[in-house]
Parts: sequence; C-alpha cells; structure tokens
Amino acid sequence: MTAPRFPRDPRAPRPPAYTPGSAEPRLNRPVRERYPQLRPTSGYGDPRTRHTGPGPGAGTEQEPERSSKLSARLALALTVVAGQLWGLTVVVDEWMAGDTGTAWWGAGFLVLSFLVVLGLWALDPDDR
Amino acid sequence: MSVTDPQPPAPGSADAAQEALHDRIAADSLTTRRDYLRIVATVSGGLAVGGVAVASGVLHRHGDGEGPPEPRRIADRIAPGESLAFRYPGAEDRAIAVRMDDGTLAGYSAVCTHLACAVLWRRDRGGEGELYCPCHEGVFDARTGAVTAGPPPRALPKVLLQEREDGSVWAIGTARSGEDAREALCRQQGGDTALCRNASAPAEGSDRP
Ligand code: FES
Repeated sequence: MTAPRFPRDPRAPRPPAYTPGSAEPRLNRPVRERYPQLRPTSGYGDPRTRHTGPGPGAGTEQEPERSSKLSARLALALTVVAGQLWGLTVVVDEWMAGDTGTAWWGAGFLVLSFLVVLGLWALDPDDR
Repeated sequence: MSVTDPQPPAPGSADAAQEALHDRIAADSLTTRRDYLRIVATVSGGLAVGGVAVASGVLHRHGDGEGPPEPRRIADRIAPGESLAFRYPGAEDRAIAVRMDDGTLAGYSAVCTHLACAVLWRRDRGGEGELYCPCHEGVFDARTGAVTAGPPPRALPKVLLQEREDGSVWAIGTARSGEDAREALCRQQGGDTALCRNASAPAEGSDRP
C-alpha cells in the first residue's frame, strides 16, 4: 500500500471519534419518547422493522419485490383454495350420486391443490 | 401540554421494558399477509382432508347399509293425492311415498339434498303438486325427483315402490340421485335377477306393474 498523497499533518487536531446519535441527550431518547404521537402500529415502534431511516428512502418499503412477491403468493394460494372449495362440492356431488371413482379423483385434485399451496407457503417461510 | 413536550421518563425496569415491547408487537397489525398465507395453507389442508374423507365415505347415502334391502310392505293403500312418510331401508332412512292425482306412485328419500331438511308433499303447489322443502324453498318434481327450483344440487334419491294386486304398497329398493331404477335394482340385487339379465324388461320399478 502506498503512502497517502497528502500526508496528514501530525499536529492537526484529530476528528472526534464517531458516535451515533446526538450530543444532546434529549435527542437520543427512543423514538417513541421523542414522538409520543406515533402509534405503536406506526412501524417505527416495531423493532422487527428492518432498514428504515435515517437515510434515503427512510420509512418506505426497502424491498418492494419481496412485498409484491408475498402478495402474489397469497393471491395464488387464495385462487387455489377457491378451486378447492369448488372441487369439494364436486366430490360431494359425485359421492352422493354413487360415482365413487370420480369422487376419489376429486379427492386427489384437492390433495394436489393443497401441495401447491404448501409449496407457495414454503417458498420463503422466513418472509414477513 | 402538547404531546411533543418532553415526557417524564417512565419508571422502568427491564421487565417493564420487556412487557412494553411485547405490548407493541402484539398491538402491531395483528394478521400479516404472511399469517394469511399460513391460514390459507391450513384451510387448504382442511379441504383436502375433507375431500378424502368424503370419498372414503363419511357421508351417509340413502339406502347404504349391509346387503340388499329387503322388500317391505309400507302401506295397505295410498289414496290419490296422499303421501306417506316411512323409513326404508334403515331405521334412519326417512322416505316419502306419494300418490299423484293421476295414480302415479313414487317414492323418494325425504332428506333434502341441500341441507338435509325434511321434504314435504304439497298437493296445492305447482300444476299437479310437488315435493317441497320449506327450509330454503327447494322444489322437486314429484314424478322424477329432479330439482325444479331452489338451491338443492341433486335430484332426490328414489325409493323404489311396487303396488301389488291387493293395493298394498311395498318398498323394494333404493336408487341414488339420478340413477336409473333398473340399474339401482341390479346393483342391489347383485345383477342375477331376471330383470337385469333381460335388458328389455320393464324398467320402471316405481310404476304400477
Ligand atoms: S335444505 Fe332443502 S332447500 Fe335447503
């Protein structure tokens, strides 16, 4: 490693050590004490909230793709469940009409649909 | 005092802080989309289990039981326009026999295919009377058992009736929703009766011989 191009003057005052927060203790209190009007559900109160401010984009969604993927998985799962509700009526109808074979096919369809929903859930179980 | 004014520090131990944290998290949006996904997966599993249970036979069908049903005399006589409630073939299988004004004799399960209310014979309704379920206004055709109005999803299962020479009425078997009377008899009697071997035999078990 080469020496810095502009060697520091050893007599120059050193910058103060970095400490997060403010020199004023009043400003270092927890957010909820500083802004009591923030409701517990405002987001900042929840320590699980990751990557909010300060900084650019503070307080906004930091991973929009994650959120929309979760919504998409939920929408797909709900669609599959709607199909299952329909399938169950078909299974009951076929069974009652004496068509046990078709009822078993329907039961297989229901189980497969469940596996699909299970897969959607298992895609990212750590998601929030 | 405005809410932004400095507040007195809360007297807090680690325990209180822990409790407050728990409070905040509990008060946070109670059901997240993540939770919804889990709930939806659970519901889906329940539906799958329900489907398998139905296919393996948790639901009772009219006339299901041990062996073919025995013919049984249910009445000495049923006059035109009258109906008769009876149980056939099991003690739990509620059934209804109807003699329409033109003499047609028909027997059905009296359990509505919608939500299992009791089906009644209403002579005054429809052109020639109809089978009526008062629970959700389900209506069945008295001649065929087919659904003519209301929410029931399937036709009424039939109870096959036979009128003998002396006018007595016998129940001789059951047929499922939409099942042909002859097929039903062959299914129950094992297919070795003359009726099943001879395809041209009279098919309507519910008609007078
Ligand atoms: S139970 Fe008969 S119409 Fe609903």
